[in-house]
Amino acid sequence: MMELLYQYVWLIPVLPLAGAVLVGLGLVTFNQTTNQLRRGSSIFMVSLVGAAMVMSFAILWSQIEGHASYTQMTEWVVAGNFHLRVGYTIDHLAAMMLTIVTTVALLVMIYTDGYMAHDPSYVRFYVYLSLFSSSMLGLVVSPNLVQIYIFWELVGMCSYLLIGFWYERKAAAAACQKAFVTNRVGDFGLLLGILALYWTTGSFEFDVIGDRLPALIQSGSLSVGLASLFAILVFLGPVAKSAQFPLHVWLPDAMEGPTPISALIHAATMVAAGVFLIARMFPVFEGLPAVMNVIAWTGAFTAFLGATIAITQNDIKKGLAYSTMSQLGYMVMAMGVGAYSAGLFHLMTHAYFKAMLFLGSGSVIHGMESVVGHDPALAQDMRLMGGLRKYMPVTAITFLIGTLAIAGIPPFAGFWSKDEILGAAFAANPALWAIGWLTAGITAFYMFRMYISTFEGEFRGHNYAIRQQLQTKKAQHQRLDDSHDDRKNHLKFPHESPLSMVLPLVILAIPSQLIGLVGTPYANYFEAFMTSSGKVIPDLLEHLEPSDWNEFLLMAGTSVAIALLGIILALFMYLKHEIDPSAIAHRIRPLYLLSLHKWYIDDLYNAVFVQNSRRLAEQVKAVDNTVVDGLVNLTGLVTLVFGEGLKYLESGRAQLYALLIFGAVLGLALLSSMT
Amino acid sequence: MSIQFPWITTIVLLPLLASFVIPVLPDKQGKTVRWYALGVGLVDFALMVYTAWQHYNFHSVEFQLTESYAWIPQLGLNWSVGVDGLSMPLVLLTGLVTTLSIFAGWKVKNKPRLFYFLMLVMYSAQLGVFVAKDILLFFINWELELVPVYLLIAIWGGAKRRYAATKFILYTALASIFILVVGLGMAFYGDTVTFDMEALSLKNYSLGFELLAYAGLLIAFGVKLPIFPLHTWLPDAHGEASAPVSMILAGVLLKMGGYALIRMNIEMLPSAHVYFAPAIAILGLVNIIYGALCAFGQTNLKRRLAYSSISHMGFVLLGIASFTDLGLNGAVLQMLSHGLIAASLFFLAGVTYDRTHTLMMDEMGGMGKAMPKTFALFTAGSLASLALPGMSGFVGEIMVFLGLVSSNAYNPTFKAVVIFLTAVGLILTPIYLLSMLRQVFYGTENPALTEEHQPFFDANPREIFITACLLLPIVGIGFYPNLVTQTYDAKTVQVSALLEHNLQSNATVIAQQRYPQYAEGSAAPPFSQMNSAKLLSVGNLNTLVNSDQHLM
Repeated sequence: MMELLYQYVWLIPVLPLAGAVLVGLGLVTFNQTTNQLRRGSSIFMVSLVGAAMVMSFAILWSQIEGHASYTQMTEWVVAGNFHLRVGYTIDHLAAMMLTIVTTVALLVMIYTDGYMAHDPSYVRFYVYLSLFSSSMLGLVVSPNLVQIYIFWELVGMCSYLLIGFWYERKAAAAACQKAFVTNRVGDFGLLLGILALYWTTGSFEFDVIGDRLPALIQSGSLSVGLASLFAILVFLGPVAKSAQFPLHVWLPDAMEGPTPISALIHAATMVAAGVFLIARMFPVFEGLPAVMNVIAWTGAFTAFLGATIAITQNDIKKGLAYSTMSQLGYMVMAMGVGAYSAGLFHLMTHAYFKAMLFLGSGSVIHGMESVVGHDPALAQDMRLMGGLRKYMPVTAITFLIGTLAIAGIPPFAGFWSKDEILGAAFAANPALWAIGWLTAGITAFYMFRMYISTFEGEFRGHNYAIRQQLQTKKAQHQRLDDSHDDRKNHLKFPHESPLSMVLPLVILAIPSQLIGLVGTPYANYFEAFMTSSGKVIPDLLEHLEPSDWNEFLLMAGTSVAIALLGIILALFMYLKHEIDPSAIAHRIRPLYLLSLHKWYIDDLYNAVFVQNSRRLAEQVKAVDNTVVDGLVNLTGLVTLVFGEGLKYLESGRAQLYALLIFGAVLGLALLSSMT
Repeated sequence: MSIQFPWITTIVLLPLLASFVIPVLPDKQGKTVRWYALGVGLVDFALMVYTAWQHYNFHSVEFQLTESYAWIPQLGLNWSVGVDGLSMPLVLLTGLVTTLSIFAGWKVKNKPRLFYFLMLVMYSAQLGVFVAKDILLFFINWELELVPVYLLIAIWGGAKRRYAATKFILYTALASIFILVVGLGMAFYGDTVTFDMEALSLKNYSLGFELLAYAGLLIAFGVKLPIFPLHTWLPDAHGEASAPVSMILAGVLLKMGGYALIRMNIEMLPSAHVYFAPAIAILGLVNIIYGALCAFGQTNLKRRLAYSSISHMGFVLLGIASFTDLGLNGAVLQMLSHGLIAASLFFLAGVTYDRTHTLMMDEMGGMGKAMPKTFALFTAGSLASLALPGMSGFVGEIMVFLGLVSSNAYNPTFKAVVIFLTAVGLILTPIYLLSMLRQVFYGTENPALTEEHQPFFDANPREIFITACLLLPIVGIGFYPNLVTQTYDAKTVQVSALLEHNLQSNATVIAQQRYPQYAEGSAAPPFSQMNSAKLLSVGNLNTLVNSDQHLM
């Protein structure tokens, strides 16, 4: 039975793909019919992802039961004596990722039915979602680096299509291009890394590379510096995909896409692919301390950077985006300090609570849109929200759970995983721990700032002074979709979202509260599962060292303390209004501006890369038009020799001339072969 | 060879002979001729597919279905044709793209008879180039093909069509003189006089002669491919030609350059290739980067696509210069893949132009709303062009990359620099392609555009069908490259072995001659030997070790 299941694992990515292809073809060929079958198509695609989820759970269960890892390969490219195989491999890591991806994808797809209900491109959205799910599932079962690269780019493409989903919006058009190009920069490194590793080790497989690279270094045929350089090139891929500094700039802009995909792609799954790849490459990275250091510091800095920017964001989705970036930084840092299972643990808990937070923000936006209209500049701005708990209680409670989870309050999920990371960071380098610890405090602060300004206090949606200020400020942000706006009269107050949107929130609230319990320091089932290789867990648990209670309490105590400090500060500033945030902002104006302008990184990139590349292209074009074209034309000579002919041609009968040339050439040919 | 039906001759001559009927064809509503031309194209394509399926052995390295008839015995000119792994895929590509472009030219109103006549003549000439086994026959076809192309640009092109057409014919006709001169030189070299390509490749040329001949052919084919700095005719020609002609220009004509480089420069002059290869690698690199930057600078849609062709053909050069079977296989695949992708993009640019009557991207904008299907197809084509995995462009490029990496012809620094800069091209490609999509389809509709031509109608079934016929193989190859690479792998392995051999014998100290049995006389290594090398590595299931790896 189990063997049969493993033989059919390929169905997991193929099922959603089949759905996407079928309905996608329907969209191109029988557009109207397909669009009329809205629910029909979506239910079809959702059930395919559901089937994939059931299979993934079965796989996870059998892996927990101790089934050996399973690999199936088939020839893909054969050229001479080069053979490239693709296929799938199922081990503990893949099983865990499959489960995360399918559950979040399924819930997001259910949620989408409510969120996109009135969108004319409802079916197209489902097609893209299915396509993405398929690519992401293909990525996590990839057995080698080339296949990883293939799906890596495919998820990037889906992200591109989904960010630019509302293509009439200029901001969305710019954002999707930015996302793709920034990711290509990362892929450029990844590809070079793959090529370099293939060149040195002759393999694309993780274990083989992991075995051969140290052997090569030991035998002296490869220097450590070069090996580290190759590994860092590979790491560039995760840097872009997981929005790590310096390639993080695309993620906040990616929020131009519809909120369900922000939850699925830009919070739970695709951005975590970078962490997944680091995990897959762990056998390679592990032996190269310089690389591990780079990874750890990149992660730590990104965590801090994201958190500091998130403080000043007023757009609820942008705030969450920077928070995602920051949390991804934690995961990457965990990987860098060698805490393999801690990083993956945070990946899992974060996937659930961040997906829930994003879906919650979508629910809020959905509610706000009925009051302020379909203008993201208004509907997503927290300055117009407030007091929403009264109108949307379920959203508020689930959002609060998510906020507590990300802030690291026990026993919510985020506490356990973040604490494990901080513990590992402390053991590796107290400086890293300090950054992570400080960031934890900032996280608690900005998340509660977000929660309070959205759900507590008075509703500010009718404050037209703020509205007008926002609209003039972001006039270019307008979404010009009139079909949407004229549709209904605006309500006075927001309302709770429909069941299809609330249900996923409630379901996600369960793992956000409880899933951390599989990785508690006293019974770390998760670590046992991730680090074992196919043995039964209880056996392993016995061999695990009992953790040091004092150390745990000290570490947990300090991180909870700073989280509470952040929460209390947020309460005083935004709920009690006893501390005036703008006064503080005024006092530390340079720092405030730094945060508000995202550390000026976007401006810098725009000035250095975007403008210069445009200028370069213009210059090259000018050179091509004048110098190269002119030189090769040998302007002087050609005009002298052919000038008369050209003049004749411009005015005369082209056909005749061509026949002349043809005749001449043929004659020349005949003549020269005669001699 | 037993007596058999002359398949290749039939395939080559059918469109030409059929074209002579067009002037006398009764054509009342102007519909008969186009159906006739399309029918001829389809029949010929069907014949190719049938021949390839039934009478062609994909695993042989020899010329197959060869026919040789004395044509003008006084000149030694033979009608000598045949196909092998290099030409068969390109013949099929020609059949597909040309037939589709006849269908794309469905709405030609201006002189339709002449249009379809020329298309069919061009069809024959292109096929003639790919199947010619006689260098003189090759040259005649090469020249014959120029005339219809010239006229097709000059009569049905855009505003600057005369200039573009003249530039095209001057460049290519001047360059092809080199083919004639070098061809004659090679034919008369030594004791025997022959025009047969196989016989020419067996001659022992002196190194000096080989280098000269190589340089001459490189200029001739470099114009066609095109290679920087001989490329400047291309943006004009591709930009001004009407969509069906652009499809053929980008889809088939450029491949003649790549094909001829492999067929002549490598197969006939391998020792010179050893000297020229580094230069070719650098030129390929320049093509990629320079073409991409130029493309980004363009505001004209078709010129941007034209420069992207230049950029993508750089990968063919890199593959040719790699000295590995993998790289060479990748080069051939890149030609096929680019033929399909460029044809679809140029066709879609034509579809867009039919609606907007402008090619300037800054005058467009927001057309996604009015033309969602065109938008979707254009996106698919652009993604294919920027080498998205799952589509053919990726496979060709990654194979060239891997071929270059596993090549032992260059020192590591040179390789690293070339690969690094080539990879920079991978960043530039999405920049110009995606910003093209953004300017044309994203955003809000350009009011100037909508006022004039309201309302836009979306792609019709004929247009969707044509694009689908091109996208289907693109995705097919992307999903399972073996499908196509296996049809010519034996041949590219043979050619790269030949190169390897020359590379080795070129080195001053040769400890062991790798393939001593064909050091002299025969340029073709016995296939069985290559096959056994392949089988050996099949046994090594999980590790993808290239046998040429010396690092391990």
